Amino acid sequence: MFNHEQMQQLISAYTDNEVSLTERQEVEAHLKECASCQKYLSELQMVKKSLKIWSNETLSPDLEQKIKQGLAKAQPRGGGEMKNSKRAMALSLTAVMVVVAMVYVTVYQGKTRLAKHLNSAVDDIGDKFILREVGKKLDKKTWDNNIRREKSQRAFEYQQLAKVVRGADGAGKDELFEKQNADRRGTVQSQPSTSELAKGIRDEKVDQEFWGKPSGGGENIKGALNVEYMLSDKFIVAETRKENFNTEQYDRIDENGFLAAKDNPLSTFSIDVDTASYSNVRRFLNDGQLPPQDAVRIEEMINYFTYDYPQPKGDGLFSLTTQGAKCPWNKRHDLVLVGLQGKKVDLKELPPNNLVFLIDVSGSMQPANKLPLLKKSFELLVEQLRRKDRVSIVVYAGAAGVVLDSTPGSEKEEILEAIDRLEAGGSTAGGAGIELAYRIAQENFITHGNNRVILATDGDFNVGVSNDDDLVRIIEKKRNEGIYLTVLGFGMGNYKDSKMEKLADKGNGNYAYIDNRSEAEKVFVNQLGGTLLAIAKDVKIQIEFNPAKVKAYRLVGYENRMLKKEDFNDDRKDAGELGAGHSVTALYEIIPAGVDDSEEVDDDGDTDTSFSKVDPLKYQATKIINSGDLMTVKLRYKEPKEETSQLLQQRVKAEDIAEESPDENFQFASAVAEFGLLLRDSEYKARASYDQVLRRAKRAIGEDEEGYRTEFIGLVKKAQSLSAGQWSDRETMD
Amino acid sequence: MGKKDEELIADVQAGDPVALEELFMRYKISILNYALRMLKVRADAEDITAEVFLVLSSRSQTYQPVAKFSTWIYTIARNLCVSRLRKRNRFVSLWFKKDGEGELVAFDVPDPNAHDGQGHDQKDMAVYVQRAIAKLPLKQKEIVILREYQNLSYEEISQVLAISLAQVKILIFRARERLRVDLDPLIKEASDV
Repeated sequence: MFNHEQMQQLISAYTDNEVSLTERQEVEAHLKECASCQKYLSELQMVKKSLKIWSNETLSPDLEQKIKQGLAKAQPRGGGEMKNSKRAMALSLTAVMVVVAMVYVTVYQGKTRLAKHLNSAVDDIGDKFILREVGKKLDKKTWDNNIRREKSQRAFEYQQLAKVVRGADGAGKDELFEKQNADRRGTVQSQPSTSELAKGIRDEKVDQEFWGKPSGGGENIKGALNVEYMLSDKFIVAETRKENFNTEQYDRIDENGFLAAKDNPLSTFSIDVDTASYSNVRRFLNDGQLPPQDAVRIEEMINYFTYDYPQPKGDGLFSLTTQGAKCPWNKRHDLVLVGLQGKKVDLKELPPNNLVFLIDVSGSMQPANKLPLLKKSFELLVEQLRRKDRVSIVVYAGAAGVVLDSTPGSEKEEILEAIDRLEAGGSTAGGAGIELAYRIAQENFITHGNNRVILATDGDFNVGVSNDDDLVRIIEKKRNEGIYLTVLGFGMGNYKDSKMEKLADKGNGNYAYIDNRSEAEKVFVNQLGGTLLAIAKDVKIQIEFNPAKVKAYRLVGYENRMLKKEDFNDDRKDAGELGAGHSVTALYEIIPAGVDDSEEVDDDGDTDTSFSKVDPLKYQATKIINSGDLMTVKLRYKEPKEETSQLLQQRVKAEDIAEESPDENFQFASAVAEFGLLLRDSEYKARASYDQVLRRAKRAIGEDEEGYRTEFIGLVKKAQSLSAGQWSDRETMD
Repeated sequence: MGKKDEELIADVQAGDPVALEELFMRYKISILNYALRMLKVRADAEDITAEVFLVLSSRSQTYQPVAKFSTWIYTIARNLCVSRLRKRNRFVSLWFKKDGEGELVAFDVPDPNAHDGQGHDQKDMAVYVQRAIAKLPLKQKEIVILREYQNLSYEEISQVLAISLAQVKILIFRARERLRVDLDPLIKEASDV
């Protein structure tokens, strides 16, 4: 009997061209006569085709650079055959020792002077490392100086390291290797494995980045920050400012353009915003560089600042503020500000908190931007607690179990001491974990209080539950019993961000991503109410423009938050959350109806093009309602426990547009926006200028208790001189 | 294109850093995507990718011209992936759940920013494909990845996985049997177009 299965196996190999000539002929002959095998062949081909749907991804330029640098480091310099491997080992040993030193230093930070010295040495390594790469494009003299400095620095460090490692009880060093070698069954390796090197490359960059300057944005996924990303931006910028800027470093932002109100009367977006871009821009400017254009997300810069919007009246959760005036950078246009203010909850009035911190102290939490930052953040939080609050600390991995029993918030010393004792490292221990954390929360449950487990981790976390489905079940069960889950992410790449949020979501909690000290301050001090208490979720804004009054409009920023107009009323569509006391600001640049654009010629000699490129409709006659409104602002939100949204509306009348708004909020927000347009060299910047920005910002500086606005003014000045310098550089280069 | 891979690795053995970088540029995409398909987790895949080239560099002397260079680099990559997978089984991750086979499946999170209709479907389909492959027994899965995505020949696959050529043929046949069934809805959709 003819064996079809065998034939099919042949056909399978045939589709891969893995058959001999005779086999090929056999298959082809058979296919001519057998319909079912023909079918089989085409099915296989379809399978092959559909597999391709899972397409390839690219390396981020950042990863590529890191690997190249790692290779260059590991590679012996210069020729010689036998010596190479020894040198490579020595170099990689040095690299790992530096990593070990940084780790060691992290753990015992502040306890030795050496630690401080090494910190600054490491700080320098970061910068020099970069300079050296950039040095390839600089002149030889600078390059030589850099190399010399770096060599002598490394020699010095190696010396110091030798002292440290020999002198101390070696605990730091062994801990690191122990963790890495846990699965090598006790044999401690005396030379670094490449996996350590590779991991070292990743962590080292993270450490350098953190010790150097505060990091910030870089990605446009909500709440997400990619620390590692930052380093390569830094060294690319220096060399490419003078050449074509490589726009692949950041996801390209295609700015929102002007839309004709007649064709697109609705503008819809989610309020979910970070403030990361501002921190990032700040970092570049403090380093003496202009930030890459795509790193400037204007809405994040505007929202970094707090504005003096009125509190909602009565039981309301929000207040909606609208302001209009002439657009400062384009006098033919108007600028409308939409401000959303969440209800502030006085910290004293916050319901009593029953908090259980579940902290990941596994080895991977060692770098500075993880456990040490976490500890600092908790210290900030503890300062805010009251007698009616209770705090407990549970750790997992390392010292298993309860580090601090439930303690009143007034016993600050005791709590702070317990936090201080936390150390990363050590092998995995069974035992304590999320179940323990919830148990303690249960035992100290406060009726009508905020009962919450706060999980702090870098993501690589063994929660002590045997499988993940159990974990989710526990979280959901506890949520139904009134114990919520907040998740704090430290030092993680942005790809895990949405998952962390999802877990917090299941736990009816919130999540925050803490990447540096200033962010920790924001989350735990300035916006503590918002952190502990979200007042609304799925908050969306939709604005309808009146074509009779508005010819065209442009939303400044929020490119990544845009929603489809149908999503506004669709309660199934997620959007952002608003914490207590948080505010959100959006600016629309408006071309009023009746402004004759054909006369408008800007500096380059271009004229504004007409906006409506759409043919008039044939089967519908749009009747524009007679109204004095400029636009209507609608807001949808859900209370934290609800699944149905509520609606708020507010009209903005055309006559409300003033010549120049005296309102500080408007002045300052528009100054920040104008600054953003300049940094982006936006095609919509029109007559924006640094002087204008400074003038308005200075006038609107207000109380500025935290000093952020003053800092802003300083940054604008820096940017101003940098961009002036850039122009003169170009001239001398010609 | 210039030198062949085998010539480049010989240069690397002699200590030439340019050759090493050239090899990296040639194989970076393949290795990254191989690791991504094996490990699913981007951070792990990036670590492995870096490691592969470091090993290439530090243990270049172990390469014998008897085997093709590509076979060698994939063997390295595979070994690293497999040990990473083994290590993973110890941990219950906060971010991934394990399905029946111990395969890590990320918590299902629809990207809130994916509002583009086109993009949405594409992503769904890719996830569909990923799941179908994830369900395959380990060896079959590895063969499918090496054959369909990394385009290795049966001979090369047999060397990387250290199994016989006959086994490769049979296993890929079996894998396709399963995929035919699992991907059926996708195939139907595609043929309706």
